[in-house]
Amino acid sequence: MEETPTSWFMRVTVTVLFLFLLAPVLLVFPISFSGDQVLAFPPSSWSLRWYDSLLENKVMMSAFLTSLGLATVVTILSLIIAIPASYAIVRLKVTGSEFLFNLFTAPLLLPTIVLGLAILIIFASIGFLATFTGLVIGHLVITLPYALRVLSVSLGNLNLACEEAASSLGAKPLVIFRRVTLPMMAPGIVAATALCFLVSFDEVVITLFLTGPRMTTLPVELFHHVESQADPLVASVSVLLILMTLGVVMIVDRTMGLTKAFVK
Amino acid sequence: MMHQTIKRDGVETVGDPYLCLEGVNKKYGLVEVISNLNLEVRKGELIALLGPSGCGKTTTLRMIAGLIAPTAGRIAVGGRDVTHIAPHGRDMGLVFQSYALFPHMTVAKNVAFGLEMRDLSRAEIAQKVAKALAMVQLEHLAGRKPRELSGGQQQRVALARALVIEPSILLLDEPLSNLDAKLRDEMRAQIRDIQQQLGITTVFVTHDQVEALSMCDRIVVMKGGLIEQVGTPHEIYERPATPFVASFVGRTNRVKGKCMVDGGIQIGSSIIRAASVETPGDVTVMVRPHRILIDWDATSTGQGETANRIAASLSRITFVGDVIQFHFDVDGCEFIVEESTKKAQATHRPGEKAMLSWNVGDTLVFGADQ
Repeated sequence: MEETPTSWFMRVTVTVLFLFLLAPVLLVFPISFSGDQVLAFPPSSWSLRWYDSLLENKVMMSAFLTSLGLATVVTILSLIIAIPASYAIVRLKVTGSEFLFNLFTAPLLLPTIVLGLAILIIFASIGFLATFTGLVIGHLVITLPYALRVLSVSLGNLNLACEEAASSLGAKPLVIFRRVTLPMMAPGIVAATALCFLVSFDEVVITLFLTGPRMTTLPVELFHHVESQADPLVASVSVLLILMTLGVVMIVDRTMGLTKAFVK
Repeated sequence: MMHQTIKRDGVETVGDPYLCLEGVNKKYGLVEVISNLNLEVRKGELIALLGPSGCGKTTTLRMIAGLIAPTAGRIAVGGRDVTHIAPHGRDMGLVFQSYALFPHMTVAKNVAFGLEMRDLSRAEIAQKVAKALAMVQLEHLAGRKPRELSGGQQQRVALARALVIEPSILLLDEPLSNLDAKLRDEMRAQIRDIQQQLGITTVFVTHDQVEALSMCDRIVVMKGGLIEQVGTPHEIYERPATPFVASFVGRTNRVKGKCMVDGGIQIGSSIIRAASVETPGDVTVMVRPHRILIDWDATSTGQGETANRIAASLSRITFVGDVIQFHFDVDGCEFIVEESTKKAQATHRPGEKAMLSWNVGDTLVFGADQ
């Protein structure tokens, strides 16, 4: 590209913006290698002691495994529910599908804290608090809107003629769905998977209401930890979270390309 | 599949209708997009549904394919009523304007899809796919994905995919309109060749009169959900049934006239004659621009009984490349006359007087109500 004053101006602006957005995140990395007792920047000495202490911290590690398992189960369930649901809404246009779509996506508009409180009241009465089932159901409420929205857009953008062509070639509706519609939805499915996983893995507000000493997730445990003590352990946990997120994004990029999965 | 009735009364003979549409009607809410459509297509015939957008030609094709259900009427193929049969049970090959290739499959897999649905053996599928790709000269691209092909190549894959299942009827929905002009000419010839080779009954939807005239055995001209005329390209062009057909297929001059009791037609101060006779009153007269001869020496006398002669003055000349168009004024009516550029001389000036003449047989007359 030709070097023009505008392109220089753009570069500087973009660099400054990125620094502004990423600086807090980048700061976490050096702090996690701190040798100090308290959270401070810059650290006065360097060590891996907070990674050691993280590995030895039974609560943190079990919370991490809970988060990982939770995000996986929630993602799979979200897809199992949202793929047929989006098909029914976009393709079959069943009666009341417009209403169902709005109902499913309503949690996106509600304040999460209200949602959390409501779920708390219901779950307390049926004994779902601090259980894996309870967490899965709670998370589904907020991952389903994302999955449904992304998959509906992806399905709506497909060339209907492909399905019609398959039909004229002798394929029955289920075969068409399995061999034509589903593979063509692949970019949307990858995007929905990544979104659901990240939303669930990252969720704090609703989860705060649903966890307890029996079972907790990594972000919630991190939150509690900061409340009680300010040591660089939180930085090493944050690095773990960032790397997980980055891992998911890179998998998406490798399989589909980011733009294809999220933009189209 | 519920109301499937099979009645086969022996082997069809050539000339018998193979595809029949009887009283087919399609309404969306209160809007009637197809009204009482009756059409018979013979086995091995290539028939065009020709008309402007919104005339119902694509709706008709989609009803034949089973992609939309008619509100009323009956569709039969080879004596078998298919009106209520789902598309996957109709055994029809369909080619879309957008080609609709499966983007996640290779060319060979696309072509094989219909055969796999028919539970053929692997070896048989491979052999048929190879044969179909050879027919459209794409054997060398079997392993490519559709997005790696040009528009014309994708079009040929779509054709191969539709033909490989040896359908009872081939349905083409504006298959050439996404191609550039030169490719379109080639594909036109190729599709016609393949259709003749296989002797497959084909319905071809197009808004391009040249495609319809050059490729098809018969043309169905449609407008506003109704059939205007069904006929061979020659009939449609030479004996259009309505002013709409005359102006939609080929170029034409259209002027108002008055039909008199003796059969003469008055245009301005001139009297002309037509082969057919209309009832006396206001009429619309149409003459194809290239069927008119210009006699620049306006004083010369008539050339015979068969010719209409009319005095005109030149108002404008338009150069269109292959032809040159002379716009003449005849008592307030405009006549356009086309001559090939080789013959035309550019020496004429607006205001020049001339005699226009054409055969009585080339005069199309329609009642004013049409």
